[in-house]
This record gives sequence, C-alpha cells and structure tokens, in this order.
Amino acid sequence: MKMGSSSDKKFATLALDTSTAMLAVAITRGGEIVGRSQSLAERNHSVYVSSRMKELMEECAVPAADIGIVAVGQGPGSYTGVRIAVTAAKTLAWIWGKPLVGVSSLEAMAYGFWRERLATASAARADAGKVWIVPLMDARRGQAYCACFSAAADGEWRREEADGIRLFENWFESLEERLAADPGQTPREIWFLSETGELTAKLLGGEGRIAVASQGASASAVRSVCREAAWLLDAAAVGLLAERRFLRGEADDVHGFAPNYTQLTEAEAKLNAARTESAR
Amino acid sequence: MNSPYHILAIETSCDETSVAVVKNGTEVLSNVVSSQIDTHRRFGGVVPEIASRKHVESITVILEEALAEAGVGPDRIDAVAVTQGPGLVGALLVGVVAAKSLALALDVPLIGTHHIAGHIYANRLIGEIRYPALALVVSGGHTELVLLEAEGRFRIVGRTRDDAVGEAYDKVARALSLPYPGGPHVDRMAQEAEDAIELPRAWLEPDSYDFSFSGLKSAVLAEINRANMKGEPIRAHALARGFQESVIDVVTTKAMRAAREFGASQLLLCGGVAANKGIRARLTELCAEAALPLLVPPLKLCTDNAAMIAAAADLKWRCGQFDTLDLKAEAQLSLEQWSVGAATMD
Ligand SMILES: [Zn+2]
Repeated sequence: MKMGSSSDKKFATLALDTSTAMLAVAITRGGEIVGRSQSLAERNHSVYVSSRMKELMEECAVPAADIGIVAVGQGPGSYTGVRIAVTAAKTLAWIWGKPLVGVSSLEAMAYGFWRERLATASAARADAGKVWIVPLMDARRGQAYCACFSAAADGEWRREEADGIRLFENWFESLEERLAADPGQTPREIWFLSETGELTAKLLGGEGRIAVASQGASASAVRSVCREAAWLLDAAAVGLLAERRFLRGEADDVHGFAPNYTQLTEAEAKLNAARTESAR
Repeated sequence: MNSPYHILAIETSCDETSVAVVKNGTEVLSNVVSSQIDTHRRFGGVVPEIASRKHVESITVILEEALAEAGVGPDRIDAVAVTQGPGLVGALLVGVVAAKSLALALDVPLIGTHHIAGHIYANRLIGEIRYPALALVVSGGHTELVLLEAEGRFRIVGRTRDDAVGEAYDKVARALSLPYPGGPHVDRMAQEAEDAIELPRAWLEPDSYDFSFSGLKSAVLAEINRANMKGEPIRAHALARGFQESVIDVVTTKAMRAAREFGASQLLLCGGVAANKGIRARLTELCAEAALPLLVPPLKLCTDNAAMIAAAADLKWRCGQFDTLDLKAEAQLSLEQWSVGAATMD
C-alpha cells in the first residue's frame, strides 16, 4: 500500500457522508479543501452518490491515481443513509487498495462549523477561552444523536462526550450539572447545531429556547453562553478530520469497517429484553 | 465476440451476500455465498434491518474471496452486474452501491439485473435453453410461471395472488413448531409420512395460471386447532404430507398445462423451493410422460447466488444494454420491463 505525505501532491482525500439529508462529497489535500459538492437529496443518496463522486473528481482534476485516502462519515444518523456512504467508501478503498479512514458524522458537523464560522474570530480574541459545540441530529421521540466537542482559541480540538443516541432532556440536564460542578471552566459559548437550528426547542418540549429550560443555580450562567445555529454536515470536514487521523497513523480495517448506528436494531433489543425477562 | 470476457456479479436482495465471477456468460469461475441464516434464525425470519447491516459487514470480504477464487484480477473484469430488484430495499441498496463503486473505479459498464431473471437464467449455467421455454419460479418470495418466447423476453403468465410457495411452507412449518427455515423440514416430514390428511386445492378460474396458497395455509391451521380443541395429538407428518401434496398438485399441473398451451420446448424449474424433493420428483415424472425436457439447476444455483445474476446480466452484456451510475435499487422491479430490448421498444 502506497502512502503519501501531506506535502505530496498526490495525497488527496476523497470524502463522503450520507448520514443526514445532505449528500456530501468533497476532496481535500494537505489540510485544504480542493472541492466539494453538497446537495439535499433525501432518500436518493444511493442514486447519485457514485456519479457525484465521479463529477467532483473530474471537476477538481483529481484522478483516482491521486487519491491517497478514502474518508467517510461513519454515522450516527439515518441507518440506510449511513450504509450508503460506508458501502461506497469500503468498496472504493478496497478496489483502489487505499487506506479507509472513518470519521464520526457528528464530529464532522461540529468541526465544519468551528472551522468555517468560529475559528478565525476566536483566534483573534485575546480572552478567547473555550467553545463547546454540540451537534444534534433528530432521532425522533425526544431523542437526538449527539456528542460534545470543545475547541480552544489555539485550535486545539477535543471530544468532550461520546457519540450516542440520548433522550435530549436528560442529556441537557447532565450538561448543566457538569457546568455547575465546575463554574470556573464554563466555556465562552456553547453552540447547539442542527439542520434547522431549532431542534433544541423541539427536543425540550417545544416551549422555547434553551434559556427557558435552564433552571437552578447554574441557570443564568448556562443561559448566557448557549447559542443555536443551523448547520449542515459538509464532507470537507470529514476529509480534514480524516487527514488528521491518518497523520496520527490511524486508519480503519476495510473489511471490518461498519457504520456506527449507536444502537441495536429493534428486533435485537426486543430479543434481549425477552431474554432478560425470562432469566428473572 | 471471440475474446474472453468476465462479468462480476453481486446479489444482496435478501439474506445472502453473494459475489460471482463468470467467464463468457456461462463459465462460473467463482460463486461465493455468505448466508446470514444463523443470524435470522433467532428471530424466526429475516429481519430486514439486520440483513442490511450484515451485507455492509460482508461485502468487501466476499468481493475479495470471489476474485481470489476465480483467479481473476480486477483489471480483467469487463462489467459489473448487480441485483437491482425485486427484494428488500435496504439490502438491495448495499449491493447496488458496491456495484456502482466498482463500475466507477474500474471504469466498466454497470448492468442492473432482475432477481427472477437471475433465477431463470441459472438454467443457462447448466445447459442450453430452447425457446419457447416455460419457467416455474418457486421461492420464498416468488411463485410465477414465466413464458420465454425468445431469449431474454419475459412474459408472466401466472403468479401468486397471496403467499409465495416458500412463504406458505414457512408459515405451515411455524404452525407445526418446526425451526426456521421450515421448508426443508416440511418436505422431509412429507416424505417420511405414512399417510396424508387430505387438504383443499386452489385451482382458481379454470383458465387461470395464477396461484393462491392462503386458503391452504388456513386449512392447515384449522386442522391444528381442531385437534387441539379435541385434545388429540397433532398428526404433523400427515399434515405436512397433505399440505405438500396440495402444493405440488396445483403447481405442477398448472406448469404442465401452461407448457402445453404455449408450446414450450422446455420446462425450467428454478428458485429456492426447487430444492424441494417432492416438487422435483413429480415434475420429473410428468415431464417424462409428456416428453418435455426439464432443466433443474443444482441446489447451489437454485438458492440466491450471484452466478445466476451474471448469467442474466449476460443477456444485456451481449447486446450492449447498460445502466448509468445513477442506477436505482427497486424493491418492485418489473420482470417484463426488464426484458432485453424492452426499454428501446417501449
Ligand atoms: Zn431468490
């Protein structure tokens, strides 16, 4: 397997993500975005995914021979959706004999927002402090696929919470508790990202903004730092995060790679419940 | 076309992940099948979401095995074929996306293929097909009589109005508390039985080639209920035999009548239920009496496999009918419209 370095002209990353309503394809190289294609194509990702990649490679004049790694959003998100990108990425990485690098789709959502909306301004501030970014994908019944990341002014990017499907109301409370426990570490801002920018209100029972839901001793502190934004997942962020992983010496096993669904299928969950029940 | 060519085919329409490499349309170089049956057995049937998940986990492993077994490098693949439908849409998607990725990477034509055309053309892998031919397709999801007036031209003359044969077998097996999949158990018990409980036959309208198995299934359930109410033991063997006799009687009689009416020069038996010993035996007998040649693929080509998909795709390869990278998986793909040349004629 031939691997390039980040300065190698041929070290391009082909990145894709179909975990959300966005069919996202991008090419990155050495920390830069070479090209990207974003389109809202709900339930049609499987139709266009291959031709979109082909078009983008042609537009960017990046032939297959120049692709050094295949990067993919591993989910969580729509089960069917995430399978499409993962299947395409696995097959391409396998047939091209190139490394496959999976990236959390939630992290890509958060990282894209940070990079394009906050990073420049943060770096310019003397008092910058940390920013927390909470990407959200609606998983129905009050649940959301979510995680939490922090970004420091110097660009240090860290995961604060694992990807998971959570009852948002409980999770929001636990975030509050965490802030209350250590008031000195309250981030400068906490950004809640979703497709519409209004998901937190819906998840918190629809009565309103994050600020209304915040109660207790830390309420005002939390209130003052919470923000919401509409943000759509972008495959360029998948590519950039994958490059960073790869430079750390990480890649995934192509054959064993599978989507991160974050939960069992309904049938498995029921079977497990029935077994637990009968074991009692 | 004189130079050798290789079609790589992918089949993921239900619970089998399969990849095959077929040379010159009929020479099977590899046909790797990874069955998920052990996974689904725990649930008493195929769980679509789990099937889709398993396909993603296996796809590149099976691709690699199929190429290695065939001893053919990726650079010698001339076309990629894939089951486009019918089937479980989430399962089909995995194969379709993998096939499109391969067609893109190898820059070769893509051929979306009909699953039932695959079952029928599995017969092409074992012998010549003479037209007009009549195909009896019996599987877990299908029960059809298909007339082939010429190569690659499909006309459905009869189909089930409710359950597929394989489905009826599985439901009866469940009622008799047999493990999943139940078809082979019912077949075995019917062979072992000393007598049969007579069950009704659904002939439908006198000239119809359609099938219906829901009434038969209800009759089995009614007999089980009756025995339970009276506190009698359930005569499972006799019931299995009665059920199987009814199915075989209707299916083979209609197939023979259609073969006569349409002047078929050959009868093709195909689909997973073609493994059923009872059906095979009766059809062999009837075809011998009628001096009608019968083709039945060996078991591993009857159940879902990718070699049969390559065999059907070969029809389109030879006339250059290819699909674009925007091929869409279709859970309800029509067989007749998939006919060779149909798109240009419509
Ligand atoms: Zn089948």
